[in-house]
Amino acid sequence: MPSENRKNRTKPAQSSEVSLAETLKAFGCGFATTAKHLLRKPITEQYPEEKRQLPPRSRARIVLTRDPEGDERCVACYLCSAVCPVSCISMQSAQREDGRRYAVWFRINFGRCIYCGLCEEACPTSAIQLTPDFENCRRDILTLVFEKQDLLVDHGGKDREYNFYRHAGIATDGAGKGAHFDEDQPVDPTTNLP
Amino acid sequence: MLKLTIDNQPVAVPAGTKVIAAAEKLGIMIPRFCYHPALGSVGACRVCAVSVLKGPRTGIQMSCMLDVEDGMVVATGDPAAVAFRRQVIEWLMANHPHDCPVCDEGGHCLLQDLTVSGGHGRRRFPGKKRTHRDQQLGPLIQHEMNRCIQCYRCVRFYREFAGYPDLGVTGIAARVYFGRFREGTLESPFAGNLIDICPTGVFTDKPSRYKGRRWDFQRSPSICIHCSLGCHTTVSARYREIVRIEARFSPTVNGHFICDRGRYGFAYANAPERPRQGRIDGETQPVSTALDAALERLTTVSRTHGPDAVACIGSARSSLETLGALKRLCERRSWRGPFLWPDAQTARAVQTAAACLAPELRLSMKELEDADFILVVGADPVNEAPMLALALRQAQRQGATIAVCDPRPVALPFAFEHLALAPPFLADAIRIFARAAAGPPQAGVRASGGDAHPPDPNMPPAVQARLAAMGATARTCRRPVIVCGTQIVNSRTVARAADTARMLKSADKPAGLFFVLPGANAFAAALLSDENGAFNTLQAGIADGHVKAVLAVESDLPAAGEGLAPALKSLDLLVVCDYLNTAAARAADILVPTRSVFEEGGIFINQTGCAQRAAPVHVGGTPVAQTGGGDHPPRTFERSIPGAEALSAVQALDRLAGTETADPPAALADLHPVLAPFASRKWPDEGQLLDLSSEAAPSADWPPEEPPAAGKTFELVVRERTFGSEALSQRADCLRPLEKAPRILVHSDDAARLGIAAGDRVALTCAGGVIEGTADVRNTVAAGVVIVDRHRELNWPAAGAGWVRIEAKQIHKIEKERER
Amino acid sequence: MINWIAGFIVLLIKSGLVLGILLLLASYLVWVERKLLARLQVRLGPNRAGKFGLLQPIADAIKLLTKEDIVPAAADRPIFLLAPAVVALTALLMFAVVPVGRDLVLFGRSIPMVISDINVALLMVFALSSLGVYGVALGGWASNSKFALIGGIRGAAQMVSYELPLGLSLVPVVMLAHSFSLVDIVNAQAAYPFILVQPLAFAIFVISAMAESKRIPFDLPEAENELGAGFHTEYSGMRFGLFFLGEYVHVQVLGALVSVFFLGGWRGPWLPGPAWLFVKITIVALIMIWVRGTLPRLRYDQLMAMCWKVLVPAALVNIVITGFVILI
Repeated sequence: MPSENRKNRTKPAQSSEVSLAETLKAFGCGFATTAKHLLRKPITEQYPEEKRQLPPRSRARIVLTRDPEGDERCVACYLCSAVCPVSCISMQSAQREDGRRYAVWFRINFGRCIYCGLCEEACPTSAIQLTPDFENCRRDILTLVFEKQDLLVDHGGKDREYNFYRHAGIATDGAGKGAHFDEDQPVDPTTNLP
Repeated sequence: MLKLTIDNQPVAVPAGTKVIAAAEKLGIMIPRFCYHPALGSVGACRVCAVSVLKGPRTGIQMSCMLDVEDGMVVATGDPAAVAFRRQVIEWLMANHPHDCPVCDEGGHCLLQDLTVSGGHGRRRFPGKKRTHRDQQLGPLIQHEMNRCIQCYRCVRFYREFAGYPDLGVTGIAARVYFGRFREGTLESPFAGNLIDICPTGVFTDKPSRYKGRRWDFQRSPSICIHCSLGCHTTVSARYREIVRIEARFSPTVNGHFICDRGRYGFAYANAPERPRQGRIDGETQPVSTALDAALERLTTVSRTHGPDAVACIGSARSSLETLGALKRLCERRSWRGPFLWPDAQTARAVQTAAACLAPELRLSMKELEDADFILVVGADPVNEAPMLALALRQAQRQGATIAVCDPRPVALPFAFEHLALAPPFLADAIRIFARAAAGPPQAGVRASGGDAHPPDPNMPPAVQARLAAMGATARTCRRPVIVCGTQIVNSRTVARAADTARMLKSADKPAGLFFVLPGANAFAAALLSDENGAFNTLQAGIADGHVKAVLAVESDLPAAGEGLAPALKSLDLLVVCDYLNTAAARAADILVPTRSVFEEGGIFINQTGCAQRAAPVHVGGTPVAQTGGGDHPPRTFERSIPGAEALSAVQALDRLAGTETADPPAALADLHPVLAPFASRKWPDEGQLLDLSSEAAPSADWPPEEPPAAGKTFELVVRERTFGSEALSQRADCLRPLEKAPRILVHSDDAARLGIAAGDRVALTCAGGVIEGTADVRNTVAAGVVIVDRHRELNWPAAGAGWVRIEAKQIHKIEKERER
Repeated sequence: MINWIAGFIVLLIKSGLVLGILLLLASYLVWVERKLLARLQVRLGPNRAGKFGLLQPIADAIKLLTKEDIVPAAADRPIFLLAPAVVALTALLMFAVVPVGRDLVLFGRSIPMVISDINVALLMVFALSSLGVYGVALGGWASNSKFALIGGIRGAAQMVSYELPLGLSLVPVVMLAHSFSLVDIVNAQAAYPFILVQPLAFAIFVISAMAESKRIPFDLPEAENELGAGFHTEYSGMRFGLFFLGEYVHVQVLGALVSVFFLGGWRGPWLPGPAWLFVKITIVALIMIWVRGTLPRLRYDQLMAMCWKVLVPAALVNIVITGFVILI
């Protein structure tokens, strides 16, 4: 293949094989086509005046959703910040009084974010999600740094059902050991009876 | 050597090696959960399955249980073995909870790694998961039994390796439970290793719980500076905060493990009260301003009153570079010092130890594990150097006889013989032992009359007999070792221990000598200071006005007690360079903050004379959690790092000396012949054994001790505790609950004579002040000894040294109080 | 003396008028080009600044004037600074010899509707056109950037080459008009425009003119997708604006020259002379825009082959034929 290419390049395609009539016809066709376009209605959409409904999975401003019980989904596992190719997500996890792990603070720097959606893909609790809301530009760069309260929304986003703490075996005030999905009652280690 | 082939690569290993270890030698990591090089094999997890193609039994075998045979052919990647391992992972995961996002092990979890690399992603098993109730195991370890995969590593380490009985296994079948019989704090000071060895998240680090993932940490290899052993550690920092310290494998020093003091003692580096800015006369100033002021005022004092009016004080917790810079400063400015020791007795003991440690006698902790007779003199391993206790335990597991001669109630996690002897008898005890070990079998049983120093009549004959018997045992042993402490003994005992070791060595045995020194860099301090390098000798100089200014570098100066505190007030100038908010720092006229070992790194010479380098972990600065005030970090852009102004102590001292050291380690070579290897910079990072042969061993011809008058005088001994004594780790909040209540201990006979009962308030009037505390009565304490715990609640510095003699009348009972 | 002063004042007024109108037209030519090009591509074009984007040229001018003028550190500073002026200046000067209408009689005085009717005007046009090459070549060289240098060298080669067919195509026109003066050439077309007798010369001239003005499909000196922006890669602000302006003034000048040489200049029925000239210039400019919207860029070897193998021989043949016809 490369040798073929080189051969082609040494001998440029000459238009001499094409007759003058054909050349003129080709030119004419080209000019006619563009002239026809002149009469078509422009396809431009006047964006700020006309807004298009974006598909729900289009990727723009990031939100932190809540589980069906209205509690924060984010457990601050650091997976989104680990996967973020531009390192725009930072957080600090801690233990809440009811035993749940949560983000004390959670920060996304939208000045850096490239809206690749990897954080959403990495999130094990469906907490972090990208929304179609792309109109998020600011004059002051610092206002593009969103804190947890700016990111939290009061719904489940695209995943309305999932509740991580119903599945994890972590004892919280909400559910003790053995009270989660697909779990047996805690073992009594002091007996060897079957 | 047996030759075998693993994955088409030939390897030769000694007989008795397991296949899994042979593969590791080739760089092939066979998956494992239960196997651990330090703990051995049990074959519990079945995940190390390999295919044996040629051997006594072919087919799938557990590589951790399989001894190598000559001509064996093993395939680790055989499809049958891979399928087997995959199946093992799947059934281990059948009961594993779905909680990786909220598990602190996530990111450095062996189970997670093997599950992901094995490709298991979906639980096919339809049954329910078994669950366990967790236990509160104290302030250091979080328990989450749901995650357990029954590899037994925890109990194997805790019970067998470390020798503590309070963590065990109960239940049967799939309900096996690892925990304590009752909830409660784990007793072992090595419990933190459970976190490291647990292949999943059953035991996780509690103080750093949810602080971050390992991939977010800045991690560096470091050296533990909480005792003189110099264990290897890996330090993790995040957001300008030291988060976690883990054991780093070292073949000669600490093996795979470290103690909890080293693991959790780092809080001083994050402390909110840590000095971050300079201070002049109580006013906060930039560091360089404070340093300039210090230089100006010190120079003024030096000019007006002569260079002798300025004294430089350091300590054994500083890095070798810092000690070297301090010594250079003293030499350049002709200032007094460096004073690196709290008292002259310790100074002499450590200097003697450093001088006596001949290269052919010294041995590493790993070699200590190989000893078959160990005599511990004047050392309390668990309290002074905890990892030493673990090394002794390994020796004992291999059949070593261990005896301890110490006045303190020594507790060790194995069976040993304790001879409770007061400090003045220790040197004689060694002599009795040595004579028995050297002479004909009968000579040691009874003291022979022709000896230049006859046995002390005050030493009980039974003890003398035991010592002689031990000496007889040692004589027949393959590798007897003397372990000698330096905190509560004088240089005579140290020298005698060295002599004895040398004598045993000459008896054609690989005998050894192992010292325990006070402070991480005590060995270096001994090299760089002279006999007068104890700062309680300064007290007189300050009192009579000869010393007008003191420069204290990383030294807990008023730890020297109330006696020195008024003396400090009479000083014209006190300049303190430190990274701790010590009492000296608070009292200082000029405070210059310095950088801790985590920010600056440094070389530390451990008690075997091995120079080891700690790498810096992060650049330092006020932790984000503090600048953020608990909430999210401030939303401001800054070029500089808040609170990272501090210079290294070397830089600060160089500024005071008016020089600049381009390469601090290389500059050390001029200070002492032993430090010559640093000039070339061609010394290994993992540690360089210093060539000590140039050191002349001092003669051990010491005058006899003045014997204690029974009942009239008492030996006051200051006892270091595992937690709460050492200057750095006592600042860790998470270790506070583990500290034992400080006590003043006396033997029951003495207590009866003095009229003291357990729980009484007792006051000891010493030269440096009054030590007041609650008394406790033990039979394990040597008679004629009063033991004071080194704890911030007791005024222990008033004692003036690790061991002093006091009169019986100096002991008072204040009031009766029921023990809480 | 009075005559001289009056003549000078008239000259100033004429120059001012021509300059003003030319620059205004140049700026709106940009608007027309963007708008038309957009429609050819089924877009809307500028429509935000003013009604139909009519204020766009003003917005552009403000933008260019207020932008930072960056001179690369390694540039040859004086030449770098002068090069854009050369381009703009030569393009503007060419218009000095273009007659825009019948002589105007004012206060009993006959004022020629040309700034300067010199008898070798055609040679002057070529001279200025040749000088314009310097602007491109020096601008590209002085930038000290590889893209600019390649662009500048391409520009120099291309413009020098196309000078030849451009000049040769006009020889028959001169032969027909018996004069180098553009006024005379226009006057010679009183009966019929030369396009009717010289279609081949017209075609060669238009093609060469487009190549001279570096417009698509001949925009190799600034080929964006290979050279960044070619010879003016390193220019910013109003210096870039001058290059830009020069190009669009050039379009108009070439439109005017096409009208003068082949379309009868300002001559035409019903409308006054300047209006005819304007209409003719506009038509030529629109065709050039249409060409831009339709044709792709030539390859460099095609460009040169077309010049030397097609246009130059064709122009020479045309001269021979014209001479032959005139002799007969």
